[in-house]
Amino acid sequence: MEPDEIKSGALVSLQDLCPSSPFFKQGASLRVVGKLLEYSLETGLATIIDGDNSLIVTIENLKDLNFQVDSVYQFIGELLIQPDHEGVLQARVGRNVDGIDLDLYHQSLLLLRQFQANHLNN
Amino acid sequence: MQQQNNNKPLPQLHNTHVKLLAFDLLTLTPPSSPDHPFTRKSIPITRAETLGTITLRDHKPGKFLRFAIDDGTGCIPCILWLNHLTSPHLARRRSPQDLCLLSDAAARSFSNVKIGAVGRVRGRVTGFKGCVQITVTDVVVERDPNAEVLHWIECVNLARNCYNL
Repeated sequence: MEPDEIKSGALVSLQDLCPSSPFFKQGASLRVVGKLLEYSLETGLATIIDGDNSLIVTIENLKDLNFQVDSVYQFIGELLIQPDHEGVLQARVGRNVDGIDLDLYHQSLLLLRQFQANHLNN
Repeated sequence: MQQQNNNKPLPQLHNTHVKLLAFDLLTLTPPSSPDHPFTRKSIPITRAETLGTITLRDHKPGKFLRFAIDDGTGCIPCILWLNHLTSPHLARRRSPQDLCLLSDAAARSFSNVKIGAVGRVRGRVTGFKGCVQITVTDVVVERDPNAEVLHWIECVNLARNCYNL
């Protein structure tokens, strides 16, 4: 494991994943959180939602994770942009985060981005 | 306490497990020689605490476990040594009882390092191939789903108000 082979999943909200977003790039490593709307072990696909936004996630690499509709999950993986411009996250890591305070999570994301931007400017 | 140019005292963080976000930890200034510590804005940083999702794991049985902690701002390479009972180097410097205790502690940490789990890692800030890494002292699994969020807030607060940003 070389230091430069480790890719961090950038923290994004599902509403950040529109085609005009800087995060919406082929192969981008992302971390998302959302409520599980539906999943299929046969197709290896799941859909998570956050408010009015949704994202399809491939879950075929997450053999040890138990899925339950309406539970909240966090996924880290790479974004695959389909020919129809829809983004699909190919998850390599996932976990159940039932009990997470999503309001605090979203507020903290903004705080973190602001802090990182200030730090880089300094 | 050391003084900065503007006469503001520099915090003393030697041997403190400094809580830093990954992007901050990974940009520490490398030491001028191997005997000296990494620094952040001229403050020596010898130990760190991080919290994040374990995303990579590379085990060399009887030698070490390498893993990565992703806290959403970067990935921190970590190394947990597992050679306490076989290393001649350590045998010359530590008593057999110490080495047994260290070996047991490393085994407990080893069992906590699982892909997808959220781990709180403490250890020494060291260098490997020109990059910062943590030489692990202990790993604890965090089960609270808000633990990472609280860690981010704590890191920002400490960096702004304590670590002299």
